[in-house]
Amino acid sequence: MSKERHYLPKGREIEIFTLAAENRLPVLIKGPTGCGKTRFVEHMAERLGRPVYTVACHDDLTAADLVGRHLIGAEGTYWQDGPLTRAVREGGICYLDEVVEARKDTTVVLHPLSDHRRVLPVERTGEMIEAHPDFMLVISYNPGYQNLLKGLKPSTRQRFVAMSFDYPDPEQEVVIVCQESGVDKQQAQQLVALGNDLRRLKDHDLEEAASTRLLIYAARMIGAGLSPREACLACLAQPLSDEAETLSAIERLIQAYF
Amino acid sequence: MEEFVGELWHKLITRQARTDFEAARVQLSELQTQLGLYFRALGGDPGKGLEGADSRLLETRRRLVQRLAGTHRRFPVCWQDERSLRLPPSIACFPEAELNTSLYFWLTALSAQLPRIGHWFVDNQRATLALLEKRPGLAEGYWRLADATLVSRPSLDTLQGAEREREMVIQQAIRQPGSVDRLPLAKGDPLPVPLWVYPAPLRALAPSTRDDLEDQGDGSRAEESLEGSRKQAERFDDSKQTDGLLVFKLECLFSWAEQVELDRCQEENLEEDPGSAAEDLDIISLSRQRRAGAARIKFDLDLPAPQQDDLPLGEGIRLPEWDHRRQALINDYCLLQPMLADDALPAPLPEHLRRQARQLKDRFALLRPERRMQRRQPQGEEIDLDAWMEFCTQPTRAETCHNLYLDRSQPHRDLACLLLADLSLSTEAGLGGDQRVIDVIRDSLVLFAEALSGSRDPFAIYGFSSIKNKQVRYQLLKNFGERYGDEARGRLLAIKPGFYTRMGAAIRQSTAVLQTQKASQRLLLILSDGKPNDIDRYEGRYGIEDTRQAVLEARQQGLQPFCVTIDDAGNDYLPYLFGDRGYTVISDPDRLPVMLPRLYLNLTGNGR
Repeated sequence: MSKERHYLPKGREIEIFTLAAENRLPVLIKGPTGCGKTRFVEHMAERLGRPVYTVACHDDLTAADLVGRHLIGAEGTYWQDGPLTRAVREGGICYLDEVVEARKDTTVVLHPLSDHRRVLPVERTGEMIEAHPDFMLVISYNPGYQNLLKGLKPSTRQRFVAMSFDYPDPEQEVVIVCQESGVDKQQAQQLVALGNDLRRLKDHDLEEAASTRLLIYAARMIGAGLSPREACLACLAQPLSDEAETLSAIERLIQAYF
Repeated sequence: MEEFVGELWHKLITRQARTDFEAARVQLSELQTQLGLYFRALGGDPGKGLEGADSRLLETRRRLVQRLAGTHRRFPVCWQDERSLRLPPSIACFPEAELNTSLYFWLTALSAQLPRIGHWFVDNQRATLALLEKRPGLAEGYWRLADATLVSRPSLDTLQGAEREREMVIQQAIRQPGSVDRLPLAKGDPLPVPLWVYPAPLRALAPSTRDDLEDQGDGSRAEESLEGSRKQAERFDDSKQTDGLLVFKLECLFSWAEQVELDRCQEENLEEDPGSAAEDLDIISLSRQRRAGAARIKFDLDLPAPQQDDLPLGEGIRLPEWDHRRQALINDYCLLQPMLADDALPAPLPEHLRRQARQLKDRFALLRPERRMQRRQPQGEEIDLDAWMEFCTQPTRAETCHNLYLDRSQPHRDLACLLLADLSLSTEAGLGGDQRVIDVIRDSLVLFAEALSGSRDPFAIYGFSSIKNKQVRYQLLKNFGERYGDEARGRLLAIKPGFYTRMGAAIRQSTAVLQTQKASQRLLLILSDGKPNDIDRYEGRYGIEDTRQAVLEARQQGLQPFCVTIDDAGNDYLPYLFGDRGYTVISDPDRLPVMLPRLYLNLTGNGR
């Protein structure tokens, strides 16, 4: 377990997830971009000793991409399991990241898997796969304005044990940034304070806030020898906005720290 | 001749007395957006606006030439109150423009650090220290500003006694913030320190309720024209019923500036210009009475005079209305009058919307139809391998399969949208700050039109209001046939609120208009701020039922009605009217202009 991915719990999420896994219940994780949802799932998979199949959902993702499809090989066509089917057969965690982005037909596959039936009907091969006892379905999405109408259907949400994530507290975030990037504590504190300043601009001036991930990126760049100002500009200002006015204001903000 | 000489003298003497650096002057208006963002990021209240501060009268020690020139009596200092942060409209304290700019940013940062001020001398030092500790990057800038400020302070040699001591202490406080906690008393006011935030003026009063501002008839327009700086106000209690008896002293002439306790029977004089008079005043006395005299006789004159009204188009259209008690339509019950604001002048895009409009336009331009591969076509350029594979592995396959090709085709976006805006009188209500609902709706309409003109989707915009069933005013703002340009924009910018909300008739007419479009997806967007109502029985249940019926009819005809509201109580009745997924409530009206185009993207299935 020495290579276990670090994860700093914010509340009781580890316990809740473990209990859900023991009781074979699917889990829904809500939270803003880059706050540690994926890291948490990977950490839990290692803790529980199960493989994890992560699928980043996009708007062209169909049920076939999850379940599987026929391919052509040397001896004609053969069936290739999709990540969901593999997790169902082998008993792993299937993690669908940003599930609202996926097409609507994918939820049809998820429904029978996420209630008491725990089965996966594979229409094309005519199979009905009973889920392995260790199979677990985890989905995540980012509630926010940009998904005003694309929220999950209530009938889908109803089937999950849900948890809400947010950016960690400043003290915790400092620890995380230090741990992930190796910069010293003082610099991490400055970065986190800057990040929190930028988070105040969410919804008003910026569409999305500076995530913990971006802070870690900036810290790594600083650790690698880039000057703090340049690193912040490249990792915290440019990724968040294209507006010249906004950028120059953020640049001023960065100068207030470094 | 005298005037000419006087002017020359004025120019000469003010130039002599000048202590600022005209060449390095920096205007607040150029930095306003950046400063606003900076303020919010540093923890300033996001609800606060940013505006120019008026000059404050201070009794400082002046040089002879300054006294002769009559300058240096007023100084624009930075202060804030519940409503906004006030920064000097322009800064020219230092010889370099770059220093003046960073002074703006410093003041903004300090104000964010110091939302409430107790004693200006102590609090400014304390906040400066805290700020430098929290954000070490600011230190370098501060020391440069401090050095430049110290140079501009009066030299200690020119002062004596208590004044000299006080100046010493102030300079010490700038040099080492936090080092002194007491300001010695001395005659007059010290020269203000440009680096510091000052308390709000004692006499500044916030209006006690919104009503005070709004009930002044048409005053809202005039208010806006006093741009840039704010005036001091004193509240004067003139609510007593007896009229004052004035002892007239002939030797003093009353001007605009004096508050006289007397009911002046005044005829409205259009030639007087109260706006510019207000700008000249130092203090404006406000009546504590809730309504101005004019407002007291304001009554509903049913309709505007024909020559001032918009141009009615045609005789009007008779429309049915749903009576829920009889569960039947009453035919020809409403008369809907299409209107065109023919006196609205073509207008360019307002400055404050430019940035957002450009962004939205770019984004919507991506929606323009593009050529892409279509799968499973009966003929085409390439073989669709997926389709072939599926065909081969199909257990019950048919003898032949035709649709096995990929083809580059020209898919077209096939949708039309009609935006129907509620222009009833309730939209005149104020939101926080200076904004009214109608302003937000106006901005929303303009941005929406700008965005859609980028995507080239056909769209139309109409507004409506009503006075009973006899006149449902249906404002044509942009129809489907017209190209969106300055004329249409002029009409959008000229919308004004009036009357009531007979929503059913307006929806029925919009349905009919939208029916003329051949697109396969037809979206009817309704923008409203409250329940349907009118002064006759069209209120409560009746209005709701009629609207619901109109929405159902629209849906039956294959349209997609969707309601956007800023009414917080919308969740109570909108599900009944539009169905669970047929509406959205935007709780923060300020975001409506940005949300509306996005909503359109989501509704039309391109919510990226």
